[in-house]
Amino acid sequence: MLNKTKKINITLAGEGGQGIQTIAKILSEASINSGHEVAYMPVFGVEQRGTPSVAHITISNQKLRYPKFDIADYVVILQSRAVKAIDRYVSPNTKVVFDSSTISERDLPKTSVHLLGLPATKLAHEQFNPKSFNIIVLGALSNLLQIPEKITWDLVLKVLGKKFKNEEIKNINREALLFGRELVFEKSAFTKAIFKTKHRAIIFKGYNKTGQLFPGRCKGCGICITKCPVGALSFSDDLGLYATPIPKVDLEKCIGCGNCRNFCPDGSISIEKDTKISK
Amino acid sequence: MEKIMPSCWRSQTKPHLFCPGCGHGITLKQLGYAVDELKIQGKTTFGIDIGCSLLAWNFFDIDTIQTHHGRTTPVMVGYKMMKPKRVAIAYMGDGGGYAIGLQSLLHAAFRNDPITAILVNNSLYGMTGGQMAPTTRPGEVTVTSPDGKQAEFGDGLKGPELVRQIANKKAYIARASISKPIVLKNTLKKAIENQIKNNSFSFVEVVSICPTNWKMNAKQCFSRLSDMEDYYPLGEVLAQKEKNVE
Repeated sequence: MLNKTKKINITLAGEGGQGIQTIAKILSEASINSGHEVAYMPVFGVEQRGTPSVAHITISNQKLRYPKFDIADYVVILQSRAVKAIDRYVSPNTKVVFDSSTISERDLPKTSVHLLGLPATKLAHEQFNPKSFNIIVLGALSNLLQIPEKITWDLVLKVLGKKFKNEEIKNINREALLFGRELVFEKSAFTKAIFKTKHRAIIFKGYNKTGQLFPGRCKGCGICITKCPVGALSFSDDLGLYATPIPKVDLEKCIGCGNCRNFCPDGSISIEKDTKISK
Repeated sequence: MEKIMPSCWRSQTKPHLFCPGCGHGITLKQLGYAVDELKIQGKTTFGIDIGCSLLAWNFFDIDTIQTHHGRTTPVMVGYKMMKPKRVAIAYMGDGGGYAIGLQSLLHAAFRNDPITAILVNNSLYGMTGGQMAPTTRPGEVTVTSPDGKQAEFGDGLKGPELVRQIANKKAYIARASISKPIVLKNTLKKAIENQIKNNSFSFVEVVSICPTNWKMNAKQCFSRLSDMEDYYPLGEVLAQKEKNVE
């Protein structure tokens, strides 16, 4: 691959907390280990989470004099909110890799022509656990850049080794990496963006109580679940803002104390007794 | 049905920019309910500091000023001098209030300037990645104190008690916690009322959590918060002379 172009520019874009900088670090170190010259530039704000996080990587056979570039050869988009930060790097020749299970086609930059879909969130939910989403992306990208599998796995162990607390987690990640390497990109007929967050309120009624929940605001911190005195709240399978699970309510157990409403830092949940309205 | 958010929040800017489970969200929610109940949305000015608290720059449907680091208190004091009918609220973190801006806070209390200062204490510097702060308790592990905070760096700074030493008798100084939201709301209400009715200084420290930098889930966070509440006692900090009478 490198013989033709001599230089590949890659831009990875996502949201802080998704693992963008970890993927970029592993990819660039793996390219160094397979004998290339690499420049890696992370770009992110001072916020710890929830804002666009971008990484620029240049891989070359010759010595690199200047690390910046204007047009990327590959752009990887993992979160639709990050598109604004990188759409000037996209030209009609750029190949755009995107997570087709969370981003719909019309949210992508308007100049993009070559689209490569990768339904990583959906596959992670179905086959592994939601957390292994970024390892699947890493596997697919390392295959795209023709980095040998052994070099990639050694670096995953070096960078993330401390987080693999037991053999089971290690094996899941190993399988996810191998699974990602064998994935074929979707060139048309992309997966539907079913994991996109719903912005409309969910309203539940019953047992003389009415509750409302806004998945578009819920960040999945779990404070409402911890602070519920009767244990009526638990995590559901639906996803909220940061692809984190949102709470579900057992209205039979709920006593309508209003603790969840008082504690929720995002203003996304409230359950009330109906008695006030019926009077 | 009661409102899911205070009506003085700006709903267009939600979801806000704070991390999941941030204590700022809970504090600002109770501040919003307090502002709603006092009906002062139209005449309030909200000043914010640098640090995580600056992410509240478009949080409220209230006039907001973003100031230099640690200079929220003097900016709001100057604003109050020019417009005495407005309600001035200075909002900061423990880095901006105790580390770089302590002299401003102390002198505002000393002069009894009629503003309300709200300080959120999460025991470390949140935005820069969890470094040791003046409010870090002895033995607490942070990024810059991997073996726990050493004795040579001193104890955790008890701000309200310190401010009380030189503050006017009329000043309302208290400490609240996000684990008791309704008490927090009433404390904030009292602090704002003290500014409006008694025309004097009020200061509230809010003991808070930081799930991202503590690297904990909600349950662990609240158990650590209850340890913090033992170290930083809650309630109003009374003037010393009243104690001596007993």
